[in-house]
Amino acid sequence: MSTREQDVLRRVGEASVLVLVSLAAGPKHGYALIQDVKQFAGVELGPGTLYGALDRLERLGLIESLPADERRHPYRITAPGAAALRVHLDSLERVSAAGRLRLQLGSV
Amino acid sequence: MSAPAAREGRLVGAVLRCYPARWRRRHADEAAELAALLIRDGTPAASIAWSYLAAAAREWLVPRPGRSLSTVATALLAVACLLGFSAALAAGTAPARAGTTQPSSGPVPPKVGPAPEGAGSSSPHQLTPCRRVPPRQVTGAIPAAGRPQPSSRGTARVRSC
Repeated sequence: MSTREQDVLRRVGEASVLVLVSLAAGPKHGYALIQDVKQFAGVELGPGTLYGALDRLERLGLIESLPADERRHPYRITAPGAAALRVHLDSLERVSAAGRLRLQLGSV
Repeated sequence: MSAPAAREGRLVGAVLRCYPARWRRRHADEAAELAALLIRDGTPAASIAWSYLAAAAREWLVPRPGRSLSTVATALLAVACLLGFSAALAAGTAPARAGTTQPSSGPVPPKVGPAPEGAGSSSPHQLTPCRRVPPRQVTGAIPAAGRPQPSSRGTARVRSC
């Protein structure tokens, strides 16, 4: 299987990747996730987008919800989720390096 | 709870009811609480409601395993009705513009140009019929022929409209 095929996060969208990156630092509930993503990525996730991403990631087994704390469900990244994030970030890194190199060579 | 806060809560609550039951059972309480926290932080309730509404539409429209196509089609229809209803509601809440509209004095006659000669029409409200145009010679650009060539299409009957 090629690296590209292993990258399950390739098709889940940016919001899901951002959520996964945020959860890589530890379990969080919805509000904390929105605040964290805003802080590290400068992206303000809408609440609808957030729940869409959480549902998608949970269906893929990349995150799991923990027992509710009052009305809030904290979410945690799973081992397959961490592995998928690693593969995806490696892929992004390769693309980023290639892009930078080509910009230097082309000196646009 | 103040009146605006209650209104915002009702708005978000109404939008959350647009989600499928499965989603509501799982996330509705949490989503309502998240909306309340975001509103407290200064996020406009309308933008939160819009985000939930768009996500609810996606939730219905994206086929999931076990959901038949007819369910998706019904959901599509429901969303279309909802949008139509919202548009009608928005149109109904524009009293300033509606108040200044002048009533029409009757049906506006269609704009018809002057009838060509021989068209046999004296009333401006009657549509001008198509007329036949005699075939004309079209100058061809074939230098080897030495003289202008009539186009083969020129022999066909041409209509002016």
